[in-house]
Amino acid sequence: MAPTLLQKLFNKKGSGGGGSSAAASAPGRAPKEGPAFSWSCSEFDLNEIRLIVYQDCERRGRQVLFDSKAVHNIEEVATQKTEDVPIKTSAKCCQGGSSSTSSSISSYSSSGGASQYAKEQLPKYQYTRPASDVNMLGEMMFGSVAMSYKGSTLKIHYIRSPPQLMISKVFSARMGSFCGSTNNLQDSFEYINQDPNLGKLNTNQNNLGPCRTGSNLAHSTPVDMPSRGQNEDRDSGIARSASLSSLLITPFPSPSSSTSSSSSYQRRWLRSQTTSLENGIIPRRSTDETFSLAEETCSSNPAIVRRKKIAISIIFSLCEKEEAQRDFQDFFFSHFPLFESHMNRLKSAIEKAMISCRKIAESSLRVQFYVSRLMEALGEFRGTIWNLYSVPRIAEPVWLTMMSSTLEKTQLCQRFLKEFTLLIEQVNKNQFFAALLTAVLTYHLAWVPTVMPVDHPPIKAFSEKRTSQSVNTLAKTHPYNPLWAQLGDLYGAIGSPVRLTRTVVVGKQKDLVQRILYVLTYFLRCSELQENHLTWNGNHGEGDQLLNGSNITTALEKGEVEESEYVVVTVRSEPALLPPILPATLTAEGRSPGPEGLAGTPEDKDIRDLCTQPDTEGNKSSVACSLDYQDPALGSSWKPQDVFCGEEESEKEAPGDGCSRFSSWKGLGAGLKASEEFKREMTKKLPHRSAAWPCPDRPPREKPPLEKVTFQIGSSVSPESDLESRAQKMEERLTACRQHPELAGCPLVEPRVAADAAQGQQVSRCSFLPGFRQSVCCPQNPPSEGDEGDFDRTYAEDRGFSTEAAADAAGQLNPPADSSAPDASAAGTGQRTLENTRGLHSKAGEGPLIEPVSGKCAQQDSGTSVATDVPCGDADGTADFRTEGDIPRNESSDSALGDSDDEACASATLDLGHSSDQAEGSLEVELPLPRSQSISNPNVRNFGRSLLAGYCPTYMPDLVLHGTSSDERLRQCLMADLVHTVHHPVLDEPIAEAVCIIADTDKWSVQVATSQRKVMDSTKLGQDVLVSSQVSSLLQSILQLYKLHLPADFCIMHLEDRLQELYLKSKMLSEYLRGHTRVHVKELGVVLGIESNDLPLLTAVASTHSPYVAQILL
Amino acid sequence: MNAIVALCHFCELHGPRTLFCTEEGGIQMSSGICTHSPAEGASTESSSPGPKKSDMCEGCRSLAVGHPGYLSHDKETSIKYVSHQHPSHPQLFSIVRQACVRSLSCEVCPGREGPIFFGDEQHGFVFSHTFFIKDSLARGFQRWYSIITIMMDRIYLINSWPFLLGKIRGIIDELQGKALKVFEAEQFGCPQRAQRMNTAFTPFLHQRNGNAARSLTSLTSDDNLWACLHTSFAWLLKACGSRLTEKLLEGAPTEDTLVQMEKLADLEEESESWDNSEAEEEKASVLPEGAEGRELTKCPTGSSSLSDCESWQPRKLSVFQSLRHMRQVLGASSFRMLAWHVLMGNQVIWKSRDTDLVLSAFEVLRTMLPVGCVRVIPYSSQYEEAYRCNFLGLSPHVQIPTHVLSSEFAVVVEVHTAAPSSLPPAGCEDDQSLSKYEFVVTSGSAVAADRVGPTILNKMEAALTNQNLSVDVVDQCLICLKEEWMNKVKVLFKFTKVDSRPKEDTQKLLSILGASEEDNVKLLKFWMTGLSKTYKSHLMSTVRSPPATEPRN
Repeated sequence: MAPTLLQKLFNKKGSGGGGSSAAASAPGRAPKEGPAFSWSCSEFDLNEIRLIVYQDCERRGRQVLFDSKAVHNIEEVATQKTEDVPIKTSAKCCQGGSSSTSSSISSYSSSGGASQYAKEQLPKYQYTRPASDVNMLGEMMFGSVAMSYKGSTLKIHYIRSPPQLMISKVFSARMGSFCGSTNNLQDSFEYINQDPNLGKLNTNQNNLGPCRTGSNLAHSTPVDMPSRGQNEDRDSGIARSASLSSLLITPFPSPSSSTSSSSSYQRRWLRSQTTSLENGIIPRRSTDETFSLAEETCSSNPAIVRRKKIAISIIFSLCEKEEAQRDFQDFFFSHFPLFESHMNRLKSAIEKAMISCRKIAESSLRVQFYVSRLMEALGEFRGTIWNLYSVPRIAEPVWLTMMSSTLEKTQLCQRFLKEFTLLIEQVNKNQFFAALLTAVLTYHLAWVPTVMPVDHPPIKAFSEKRTSQSVNTLAKTHPYNPLWAQLGDLYGAIGSPVRLTRTVVVGKQKDLVQRILYVLTYFLRCSELQENHLTWNGNHGEGDQLLNGSNITTALEKGEVEESEYVVVTVRSEPALLPPILPATLTAEGRSPGPEGLAGTPEDKDIRDLCTQPDTEGNKSSVACSLDYQDPALGSSWKPQDVFCGEEESEKEAPGDGCSRFSSWKGLGAGLKASEEFKREMTKKLPHRSAAWPCPDRPPREKPPLEKVTFQIGSSVSPESDLESRAQKMEERLTACRQHPELAGCPLVEPRVAADAAQGQQVSRCSFLPGFRQSVCCPQNPPSEGDEGDFDRTYAEDRGFSTEAAADAAGQLNPPADSSAPDASAAGTGQRTLENTRGLHSKAGEGPLIEPVSGKCAQQDSGTSVATDVPCGDADGTADFRTEGDIPRNESSDSALGDSDDEACASATLDLGHSSDQAEGSLEVELPLPRSQSISNPNVRNFGRSLLAGYCPTYMPDLVLHGTSSDERLRQCLMADLVHTVHHPVLDEPIAEAVCIIADTDKWSVQVATSQRKVMDSTKLGQDVLVSSQVSSLLQSILQLYKLHLPADFCIMHLEDRLQELYLKSKMLSEYLRGHTRVHVKELGVVLGIESNDLPLLTAVASTHSPYVAQILL
Repeated sequence: MNAIVALCHFCELHGPRTLFCTEEGGIQMSSGICTHSPAEGASTESSSPGPKKSDMCEGCRSLAVGHPGYLSHDKETSIKYVSHQHPSHPQLFSIVRQACVRSLSCEVCPGREGPIFFGDEQHGFVFSHTFFIKDSLARGFQRWYSIITIMMDRIYLINSWPFLLGKIRGIIDELQGKALKVFEAEQFGCPQRAQRMNTAFTPFLHQRNGNAARSLTSLTSDDNLWACLHTSFAWLLKACGSRLTEKLLEGAPTEDTLVQMEKLADLEEESESWDNSEAEEEKASVLPEGAEGRELTKCPTGSSSLSDCESWQPRKLSVFQSLRHMRQVLGASSFRMLAWHVLMGNQVIWKSRDTDLVLSAFEVLRTMLPVGCVRVIPYSSQYEEAYRCNFLGLSPHVQIPTHVLSSEFAVVVEVHTAAPSSLPPAGCEDDQSLSKYEFVVTSGSAVAADRVGPTILNKMEAALTNQNLSVDVVDQCLICLKEEWMNKVKVLFKFTKVDSRPKEDTQKLLSILGASEEDNVKLLKFWMTGLSKTYKSHLMSTVRSPPATEPRN
């Protein structure tokens, strides 16, 4: 085997065989050298990680409990056994941790031991006065105002000069019942500080009252923290874990997905749901909420809990060099879960140290003990972080590389297969390799979704699997964090119960270990991440008006352009502040629905005028229309259309409104206009439609009163009782409607009806709507029975809605200041909805109709949508519309949103659907998003590239895969690491078990260590792995095929087929287990060749698709 | 991305205030609709959680009272982004309010301008960037603002820090730039500093005279500011949500799925052009059957009626419910002979006057074969050649050519009825109806009882024999076995048809595959005909690479 190959496969950095110092001195590689490892870590100084522990106590104010900057190592002076003491103790700590079931890793044994320790050791550290910036830092950690929240708070600060990144966690302290000695530590520090050698200490200068406020509070009203009711009292993790378990079952309706990659899909979907704002707050974590100062969970005194907070802060000093700084920041932010996990570990160590040291009577010893413990823990933290940052990575993980690069796939296959078969052939002593692969396939389960057969149409190339479309779609519609998903994949945490797995290959033969690692990267699978840079494109269609609100260098100018007050300014560079694409309607139409927000403008008056003066209305509206549609001709056609019932209604409505809630008509203008326009358009465009318009069922009697209504603005003619009665009528109607199956089938109509009815015009409208709907909507959108349920919902919503509208109307009846233009719009919302309902029905149908007409659909978009949104608001019919219209649209619109006119037109209908969710009655002004272009490139700062490591100088806790030369450190730390992993899961979700696969190429053994079982045999790290005969036959057949010179990519296809067989067998097993609580291996063996040694593998695989399997077997 | 972006302001009169807030639409708490939207402000102020009107000054307000807010649709994802001064849902309102207060008056940022992250599980997590805006009338000539992003997923939010920082910083820069211009213009017109120096003794005048509360719109002199911010925030949410995407691979479809899809595609084509008996046969053979346990994409409407009646009828009158059932009825040895022929691709002829019986028999038997190997003529009035079908149903009167009867490549099942009645009554119990029949299985060459037979047959028999295995398990078994053997078929196909390797090699290969016995080889050869076109053409086109080019050994 050519060494050059290995050099290609592995980072050169990995060659440093020595300790971390060797690796540290290794020259940082150029970022571009390998795709896998682009952060250069050479600039990172281990000692630049600083730890500060702070206490904030109501009584005593703030005190620094620890600042690593204030600690000086005096061992250098006293030339005693400098090095081995910390090592010894760290070993001790690890062993201690393994025997403890508590959440802490480095659990020191007992206080007796502690004091003993303190007495034995000579002081190694000198604790001096904390650095000068510590006050400021304390302020940052705790904030300037005390928070009442009792859980833990996480903060990250960026300090510009010198560049530092600070991550802090603030905990409520939980003391034991004995609180007498809590102040020992401070006393001790005072003691230290009084030490004449150290000069005057100033810890107490930090004694700022917790409520000291910054100057920014000069005028502040009291800081009211909205409390969150039932969640308020949440010290106990019980409630949370209860919600969590319920969440694990099926808290949310699961999307009906028949896709085969359902487990990945489900997992991601669930993540999206649990982190969604829509579902309110679902607290997920139950650990780490408090800082324990009590030895055990003895009954804590809530009063005290409230008062004392402990903050732990880690400060990373960043390199001044910008690039190095960015590298570390990128690493930090993308790998935050790992940082956090180690920080939690550090916190546990600090807790222990504090508890233990309290029992030491003599304060100098106590401090010495405390400081050295903390320094020790910090040392571990530093080492871990540094290792994580600097460890050599596998440059080309096979699976990820195959997935991303299509260019050299054949070579890649050949290279992989060559290594693979070599291992099968030569490294299979004791079935070593088969055992390793069995273990990897059993625990790193992310391969399973990649072989689950799909029922999609065929794919282009068989060796290239297809990407999961369902997951793609999910990511867009229910965004989740892909980094998180990838991390779970890598750790194989996709089965049930969730297990988190790592693999370590131990061996003196670096070359061999690297080869094994390389091959395993084919089986350790995860998704590949892509980074997309969305850019919006400054070149909008001519029709769109780009109001440059963004470019600083270009001033806005007022202009006399027809539709706009502003001159269009094109944007050259892409400003961060996006110029909204304001539809011309908005600016011109004015204030109607939306833009009034842009500071009240004179135009509002126009609208009011429109409404107030019926006579002029036609003209005015035509003007408005012309503005809106840029089609003045429309205006003229206004009158004649009145003939049609739709029009009539609107007309009538306006007057009618005048007396009732519509007294507020002034404000109505916008909505009115919109609806009117629609009508106009409708009729105009679609004369044939008009036939459909007349509403056959409209009760005639209701009409007359409406017609009689005079158009009066501001008159409070209609008493509320009138409203009420109307509302009642409406309700009756509604119920009647609901009972009518046809109506029920048409959800679109009814909600609107409800709303409208509330306003008073219900009758005509009601009748109108159904008619309309039938004529217009139904053809497009055959009402489905399924809508009924939705209807109910929407109905309910509309109820609320209508009342609101009524309220608005009422408000306007007694015209206060509200009558001013802006208020009109407020009322307008309600009214608009009404109108919209009316007009909009038509609109809903209209979308298509309009299309041909307007060149400027974009504008309508906004205008119409305003109108449209509401009525359709909640109706599902709209949703249907959308789906119909939307889907084709999506295809084209990816890079050209709002691009073409017809598209915009389409959106007129679409908008109906979009807005449909709005429960509240407000009709937002629609602004199109700028069209976007997405530039994608592979993201290298992801876990797939960072957690698959090469041959490391020492064992490391976080890596999904790595190799190392000896298992010494592994033995020391493994158990503690596993326990830690379970207690502080990096995945932000509870895990049941942490597992480590240890493959030792020196002893040819493969063992699995788990957090759940302790290995009695001290020579072993875990249990030996059973070799699955399925796996070993798979290996043999691949080897033989390869020897028969079948091409590499075919062999890999076969390999995938065989893996798929494993999956299918697991399906069978899960089916079998449905009826059996015990597996009769013989039965399976005869039929399928499943043997007992296959069972662990197959049940693990089965657990990814059939969670019950685990429950049966456990 | 399940986030809210908001602009907050520290009002000199009223303290921290949320000015403008963009959320992803459809955020609708399960509690239902809140009728009192805080955003609606004045008219519903009484019960609204939002600030009372009296507490609002120009500086605390973004959208005018009654402004409905803004809305944008992302057509691609059908996510919509809505902006109001406050989020409309009370719970979100309080989350945002809390974040706003913390951002502007609790958390300490060095230099007061800059990014901070803070949060907890209860109140959500917040990325906040505070900044100043120049205002010639304000105390200190500047006002304090922040842009915050709130999420429940702290990991996601922290992962997005560099991105958010960049984008939000950009927005802030532009806001500050605008304000600076206004500021400079105002200073030019009326230098406040000088004026203030002169009126130094009445410092509070500025606050009292109403100027203290200027809206951001006027500070930046941008009437479209809010629309602009809406677009920017919506964009930010979109870009942040789609910043990282995953490429997640899924497995290839099984051969059966592929073949079924191919057949469906063919069928669609055919049914579009014409409708003849040929097509019907195809249909019949394509129909999905529950026994396979596979979910097929739904048949196009054209064939649905057929499939309905077919799947429905046998169920009602059906005679054979499963392979196991058939095995019980026929008896182990007869069944084995029949199964052997089925697996080998020999022609299986059923003679009966009961079409339902025959149909059900075929439905059951075909589950032993890959979909691609099944060609059924369910019921015919004349003999059809073996190349046209391997399952043939005939009425009892049809003459079968003698060479077929004597052939070892065909098996005939004759169903004799004890009762001469034409059809069993509809409500009849299955077993009763079956007991009416006698089944005689004959073949030109009887399978020797001691013959080992293809491996898969033995395994199938084992599965059928074992009563502990439910029907579902047996179904899964069949799927496994078929796929297992199809995988062997693929290798053999590649080896012999694509690469045309010599015989010795083939023999080696067969032993590697565990299929060197004669029956297994036969079976593989027959099954090869069932490979999907897709797969074959793929192998033929892309994977073909002469062994010579591969550097091995």
